[in-house]
Amino acid sequence: MNLKKLTMGAVAMATLLAAMPMSAWAEDLQMWERSGGNAGMVDALVAAWNEKNPDRKIVLTYIPHTEMVPKLAQSIASGEVPDLMGLDLIYGPQFEAAGQLEDITSYFADDASIKTASPGHMKVSTYDGKLYGVPLYADVSALFWNKDLFKKAGLDPEVPPKSLAEIHDFAKKITGVEEGAYGYYLAGNCAGCNIFTFGPLIWASGGTIEPADAAAEPLTGDAVPKVLEWARMMHKEGLINPANQAENGETFHLQFGSGKVGMMGTGNFNITLAREQNPNMNFGITLLPGLEAGQTASFAGGDIVTVPKGSKRVADAVDFMKFILSDEVQVEVYAKMLNMTTRGDMVDNKYYAEEPLIKDVAKAIDIGVTPYTLKFFELINSPQGPWLQMLQRVYYTDDPIDTIMADAKQQMKDIAAE
Amino acid sequence: MSIYSTRSNRLTGLLYLAPALAFVAAFTAWPLGQMLWVSLNSWSLITPPKFIGLNNFTKAFNDKQFWVSLGFTLKYTLLITPILMIGGYAIALLTVKNTPLRRFTRAVVFVPVVIGLGASSLLWYWLFSTDYGFVNRLLLDFGLIDKAVIWLGVDADRSNWAIIVSVVWKVLGFGMILFVAAIQAIPPEVSEAAMVDGASPWQRLTQVTLPLTLRTVLLVTLISVIGSLLAFDQFYIMTAGQPQNLTATSVFYVYLNSFPYLKLGYGAALSLILAVIILVFTIIQMLLTRRSHA
Repeated sequence: MNLKKLTMGAVAMATLLAAMPMSAWAEDLQMWERSGGNAGMVDALVAAWNEKNPDRKIVLTYIPHTEMVPKLAQSIASGEVPDLMGLDLIYGPQFEAAGQLEDITSYFADDASIKTASPGHMKVSTYDGKLYGVPLYADVSALFWNKDLFKKAGLDPEVPPKSLAEIHDFAKKITGVEEGAYGYYLAGNCAGCNIFTFGPLIWASGGTIEPADAAAEPLTGDAVPKVLEWARMMHKEGLINPANQAENGETFHLQFGSGKVGMMGTGNFNITLAREQNPNMNFGITLLPGLEAGQTASFAGGDIVTVPKGSKRVADAVDFMKFILSDEVQVEVYAKMLNMTTRGDMVDNKYYAEEPLIKDVAKAIDIGVTPYTLKFFELINSPQGPWLQMLQRVYYTDDPIDTIMADAKQQMKDIAAE
Repeated sequence: MSIYSTRSNRLTGLLYLAPALAFVAAFTAWPLGQMLWVSLNSWSLITPPKFIGLNNFTKAFNDKQFWVSLGFTLKYTLLITPILMIGGYAIALLTVKNTPLRRFTRAVVFVPVVIGLGASSLLWYWLFSTDYGFVNRLLLDFGLIDKAVIWLGVDADRSNWAIIVSVVWKVLGFGMILFVAAIQAIPPEVSEAAMVDGASPWQRLTQVTLPLTLRTVLLVTLISVIGSLLAFDQFYIMTAGQPQNLTATSVFYVYLNSFPYLKLGYGAALSLILAVIILVFTIIQMLLTRRSHA
C-alpha cells in the first residue's frame, strides 16, 4: 500500500469515527446518576424509557457519589452539562439555592401525577415555590418486627408496638429470650442510619431536628428530650446489643436478618435481604411510632431527578420525568421490581397485592419526611456532625439530656449560620 | 572560568532541565498556587468563589476539631512509626540471608504491601467485628477474653491500636524490603572484619550494620511519618472518626470540609497548614540525613 492510499484511508477512518459518535450524541439524552444508590432501579427505568423512545434514548453514566458535586460544577462551568441528573435528594436544596438547576414548574402545571408524588421528595425538589425535580426512586424507613421472637417472648406475633412505651415493654420481654437476642436495635456509630430510623421517632412524636435555615431553631418540641430519654433508657436497661455501638453502617442492613433483633427501624430494602439471609424467619412491618399511640413517621430517602442549568434538552428531560411518574411505569417497573412506587396513590397494585410486606412498608411514602436544609450533610449525615455526637452522648454517657441538647443546638446553629 | 558561565551553555542546561521544570510547574507549582488562591476564598464549588483573605486560616486556628484531629494524627504517627521501624528492621535482619525459607518469609511479609489500603482496611474491619470477627473468635477460643470486645468506634485508644495492628500488617513489608536491600549492600568484608575483631552480634548490629544503613533508616522513617500524617483510608473505613470524633485524622477532616461540606476554601487552608507541618518534618529528616552523611 502506498503512502497516499494509507493517508487517505486514515483520513476516511478518522472522519468516520468522528462523525459516528457526534450523530449518536446529537440524539441521545445524557443522564448522570450517583453510584451507591439504587442502580438496579435506575437501570430499569432507563431501559423502559429507551424501549419506548428509540429516537431519543438515554445514555446513563454513573458518577462516584463523592465526585458528583465537583463533577457537576465543572460541567456547568464548561457548559457541557448532562440533560438529566439523578441526585441524592438531600443535595436538592443546595443545588436549587445555587441556581444550578432548571426550573420545570411550568411543565408540570397541569400534571396530576405530581400531586401524589412522594411528599418528602417533592419538598426537597421545590425551592422558593419553584419545582426543580421529581422523585427518581424512594427508600423509606419502617419498623420491622420478628414474629418468631415475639412468639417466644409470649407476645402476640401479629400485634406490633404502637408507641415507644410499647417498644420498650416488648423489648424487655424479648431481650434474652434466646441466646444473643435483643429487643431493639439502634446503630451507635452511623449518623445516616439514625436519621433514617431514629429521626422518625422524634418526628412522629411532634419534634423537629434540623434547622431549615440560619434563623430557625433546631431540635424543637417537648417530645425531643422525651424521645432521647427513651433511647437512653433502652440502652441502660440492656435492651439494645452493646455491640451496636460500633455500627458505622457497614453491617446495618444485615442486623434484622440475623434473627436476633426483636424490633428494628430499617428500610424497604431489608425485606428481600432479610428473606435471603434468614428464609425461615417470620416478620412483619409497621410504621415507626412516636411517644403516643397513633403517632407515626418515616424518613423518605432516595434520589430525585433534575435538569442541570444549561441543558438543551429540557423538554425531553421533562418527558422522562413524566414517564417515570406515569401509572404504567409506577406499576410495571417500580412495583414489579418490588421497589417503592414514588407516588402514594400507586400502592394498590397487583404486585404489592402478592407481597403484603411491601404494601405495609409502602404506606410510609405518604408520611415520609425528608429534612430540608442547605447543609444536610454537615448537620446530620456527617460522622463528625452534631446529630451523631448528640445521639452518642445520649446512648452511651450519663451527661444530662438538657446539656447534650443545648450543645447540639449550638453546634447546629453555628453550622446553619455559616 | 567555569564552562557553565557561558550563555550558550546555560541555555543548553536549561533546555535539558526544561521537561522536568515543565512537569514540576504543571503538576506541582500550578496546583499549589491554585490551592493557595482557593484557600483565600469562600467557595462551595456550585456558587462563585468569594475572596475572604486570610479568614479561612484564622478560622482553622480557632477550630477545636482541627487541632483535636491533628493531635490524634500526631499521636498515631508517634505510636506506629517505631513499630514499623523496629519491626521492619528486625524482620529484615532475620531474613537478610538468601535462603529459600527466608526468601519465602520475605515474600509473605511483603504481600500485604501490594493490597490497596482501602481493601485491607475493609478486611480488618470485618476481622475486628464484634460479633462476626475472627479476632474476637480467636481470643475467646484461647480463653484470653471472657466476652467479645468492641474494638472499633467505642474507645479511642482501643480503636487506634486496632488500626495500628491493621496498618502494621499492611506496610511492615515495605520497610523490611528496603532494610534488606540496605543490609545486603554492606560489603561482607566489613562484617567479617568485625567478627575477626571479636565483635558480638549485638556489637556488629549497633556498631556496624545500623550505622551503615542509617540513611535507609531515615528514609523509611520519613516515608512512614509522612504516610502516617496523611492517614485517611483506614480511619475513614474502620472508625469514621468515632467515638466522638476522637479518631478523626487531619486528612479526614480536610476531606469532610472540602467535599461533603463543600467548603473548598477552608479545606484548602487546612491542607496548606498540614503541608507546612509535613514540610517541617521533611526538613528535619533532611538535616539528619545530611549529618549522617557527613
